[in-house]
Amino acid sequence: MTRGARVVLLGPYVVLLAVFFMAPIALLLAISVSRQSFGQLEWTFTLHHYVRFFSDAYYVGVLGDTLLLGAIVTAVSLLLGYPLAYHLALTRSRWKPLLIVFILSPLLVGIVIRCYGWMILLADRGLINETLAQHGWITRPLPLMYNKFGVTVALVHVFLPFMVLSLTGVLKRIDPQLVEASQTLGASPRRAFFEVTLPLSLPGVLAGSLLVFSLAISSFVVPILLGGFKVHVLPMVVYEQVLSVFDWPFGAANAFVLLVISVALIAVYIKVTERALRGIV
Amino acid sequence: MDRALEQGDALSRAAEPTVELRGLVKRYGATTALDGVSLGIRPGEFFTLLGPSGCGKTTTLRSVAGFVTPDAGEVLIDGAVVTGVPPHRRRVGLVFQHYALFPHRTVTQNVAFGLRMQGLPKPEIARRVAEALTLVQLPDHGGRYPRQLSGGEQQRVALARALVTRPAVLLLDEPLGALDKKLRDHMKIELKRLQREVGITTIYVTHDQEEALTMSDRIAVMHRGRVEQLAPPRALYETPATAFVAGFIGNINLLAGHATGPGTVDCRGVKIAATGAAAAGAAVLVALRPERVRLAAGESLDNRHAMTVAHVVYQGETVRYVLHGDTGLELQAVELGEVRFTAGARVHAGWSAEDARIVPPDHP
Repeated sequence: MTRGARVVLLGPYVVLLAVFFMAPIALLLAISVSRQSFGQLEWTFTLHHYVRFFSDAYYVGVLGDTLLLGAIVTAVSLLLGYPLAYHLALTRSRWKPLLIVFILSPLLVGIVIRCYGWMILLADRGLINETLAQHGWITRPLPLMYNKFGVTVALVHVFLPFMVLSLTGVLKRIDPQLVEASQTLGASPRRAFFEVTLPLSLPGVLAGSLLVFSLAISSFVVPILLGGFKVHVLPMVVYEQVLSVFDWPFGAANAFVLLVISVALIAVYIKVTERALRGIV
Repeated sequence: MDRALEQGDALSRAAEPTVELRGLVKRYGATTALDGVSLGIRPGEFFTLLGPSGCGKTTTLRSVAGFVTPDAGEVLIDGAVVTGVPPHRRRVGLVFQHYALFPHRTVTQNVAFGLRMQGLPKPEIARRVAEALTLVQLPDHGGRYPRQLSGGEQQRVALARALVTRPAVLLLDEPLGALDKKLRDHMKIELKRLQREVGITTIYVTHDQEEALTMSDRIAVMHRGRVEQLAPPRALYETPATAFVAGFIGNINLLAGHATGPGTVDCRGVKIAATGAAAAGAAVLVALRPERVRLAAGESLDNRHAMTVAHVVYQGETVRYVLHGDTGLELQAVELGEVRFTAGARVHAGWSAEDARIVPPDHP
């Protein structure tokens, strides 16, 4: 294909990206440094909204909570996902395609439906609490929902596939003979895992973690539905500022803080995966 | 086969074998990978398992390493049964075709790995790693990563890593397969030197008959999960016990015929004097090396037949003639040096009865 043809074929997407993605982000940035008086935007330059964000204990607290939630979701996904990915990478079972469908299944269900599914299970009068109560094992319902626990469960459910697939890709590329070599050199299977498999899978661990983390901190619907406005995360603050308080500049500043964190993580992600692809062959 | 085995055994019957395999059987579903393999590998011996892919040689090696658990039979290392012992407690050193060096560790760390697993003190590890790297002539490469080394260098590091723990037996799984021809020829000599120097019992797996013939003390030719013949290289080449061994090692004429008496075979109406026993009337093959066929006139040989040169194949060092007899017998002869005949020439092909071995036809 000639260079000209490539440019022409790329054109529509570049235009789409420019008009509907780059331009709005530029606008968002402009709004976040503008002033608003009596509902009217004034195109000036001020860092006032950023200063306000970082000097208000509430917003810094929300930021901290958001990052903490992201860290917890990432850690749980990693602990649950690693054994899954390990099995998926090594299995020669003919059920493997089915296993992959199972792992991807959370992504096949719409986000709202998935959340309502969890609500049916986790609510105070939900399946789990009712069952436990019927057997007389609990007198008061366990707090499974409208808190960080419920949000974490639902987020892990949907982000686990990203973790598993990131890990599987790396684990599959580890030469099984490396593990065998370590065993003939006197490493027990357990030792071989910690000396060989785990270190060689670290790029996958890092890549999967960054992916899940950046998805988790920008999630919005799940924290609302399963957090019931009792779990405050940054995307909800943005939503409130823009659609309830009508403070667009402040909402834009919040959104931009979140965006910068995500982009920084994704930059690290790309660097890491690139190195992983190059280094260990 | 038995005769060759006995001859070999007489050399050092006193020494107890370092590795002994007793009737190993391994099945994968419907296929039988090992069909009763029994072998004894002597201390310090360079022992080769030779055969085409799928013959069971790698499965045999992996049974010794402990990665394959046989369905029946026993593996003994230094007189102890290790059949159920996991690989990390077997004291074997294994070198893979693609080296399997740890990519996230330096050369030094790779070589030190086994010593670290043994829990040796750091100064001793450092000393022995340095020793091992000197042994494989890479004393200054300790700080590098495997990907910074050439294929031959990686191979040496893999050897150092396997040898440094002083295993009871060194297992080499087609270790030269990934190298180019020139380097392979060099590594063959190098590997043999190392093995002699260390004096370690070695089991070498290859499908390359040339590698097997140049390096081994004894060779077990494997075919369909069985040991077809076990003999020193020369005996294997000169007195193949079966048609398979004869055909697998080097080039050979396999002339189909039937035995007519002790040491005589009728091949397409041509009476051939040969060595070996067969019942009169039995279908047999006569195995005859092409380089043992003489095309000179006037030599007195047990067999002498007038034949026509059908093709001349110039191979540089040697010339190969495809000869046709008047009754349809086809024969190849190889000579060193220049081309003496052209296609269509009449020649006298002769060979001694000793060089023509009677072997049973390959079992189906």
